[in-house]
Amino acid sequence: MASTYVKRSTALVGLAVSKAPREALTKLYKETLEVLGSMPKSAQYRIHTEQITKQRLGLVEQESDVPTLEKKLGAGQIEEVIKQAEDEFSLAKKMQEWQPWEPLQNPPPADQWKWP
Amino acid sequence: MASTKIRSLLKLGAIAGPRVLLRNQYKCSKPFCTPAFLSQHSRKLSTDVAVKEDAAVAQLSEFGQYVASILPKYIQQAQMTQTNELELLIAPEGIIPVLTFLKDHTNAQYKSLADQTAVDKLGKPYRFEIVYNLLSLRYNSRIRVKTYTDELTAIDSADPVFKISNWYEREIWDMYGVFFADHPDLRRILTDYGFEGHPFRKDFPLTGYVEVRYDDELKRVVCEPIEMAQEFRRFDFQTPWENFPEHRPEIEAVQQQLLKGDKPEKS
Repeated sequence: MASTYVKRSTALVGLAVSKAPREALTKLYKETLEVLGSMPKSAQYRIHTEQITKQRLGLVEQESDVPTLEKKLGAGQIEEVIKQAEDEFSLAKKMQEWQPWEPLQNPPPADQWKWP
Repeated sequence: MASTKIRSLLKLGAIAGPRVLLRNQYKCSKPFCTPAFLSQHSRKLSTDVAVKEDAAVAQLSEFGQYVASILPKYIQQAQMTQTNELELLIAPEGIIPVLTFLKDHTNAQYKSLADQTAVDKLGKPYRFEIVYNLLSLRYNSRIRVKTYTDELTAIDSADPVFKISNWYEREIWDMYGVFFADHPDLRRILTDYGFEGHPFRKDFPLTGYVEVRYDDELKRVVCEPIEMAQEFRRFDFQTPWENFPEHRPEIEAVQQQLLKGDKPEKS
């Protein structure tokens, strides 16, 4: 860990500086992967989200220097990345309930989307 | 069509598809777009060639396919509009899942509900279209989600996902009379106290039903049913001109053929 790294603020309202960002991210990504693991293997949501999560988890595990990690992730400050991971985790739990990978539930009534 | 998913993917190219095909045909015949070449063709085709398929548009349409493949249960159709905006046409029961997905997914992050409104389309099976315009600050991108309902069908409130839709939905309730289920505070927001009716409906008369005036004897403002100087007359508003020449059934049939990849009989 870079011991000299001291960050005062994220300059974003309501977003506090994270004390241990890598640990938080690793934990969130592992939990997300666990939730994704219970979805069917063919679900596109699982495929794409697993890809994103694994790629980010790999980068977090490789790189210990936070500013370099932020550059490698390319998704803003590390606190924003944590926020994204939290959102994805909560979404994954909801997706498990909704099961949106099933085929179309209700086809549109005829002419509903026809223009003019 | 084989399956609903394939159909929804195919329809994504509903507007972009023919253009790509047309462009490729021109590429085969003539490699360069000279002004003389443009003038040889009818107006419709020349504008089609003039529209550039830039990287941003391609990326947006790819994202539409991505979302449609992830949420096939709710997305009936994903399409690019004439002005290159991405639209998702969804079933009403998919409002919360689709909006939550667009808000929370790492590749979407549409954190801002820029606008929500309704459109009264009299004559459709469900007369009201509810429109959600979303903005992703992270990716500098916008998306439009559309769904449908009618006067009697309650629709899920988007309030649990976007807090701003509390007021937007009150506006829609006030102006169109669409009922939102699970809305925390569904009251009128724009019209006056005691107002009756929903003024943005197509069947709401332009004059309204009541008029207010100051009564000198009562010394207050009174509200009375309107009195028209002339009796109501029904006019025939059918125009003698054709408004949508590009949407004749025969032209649409040719476009469908182009989509499928067949050779059109005439072009």
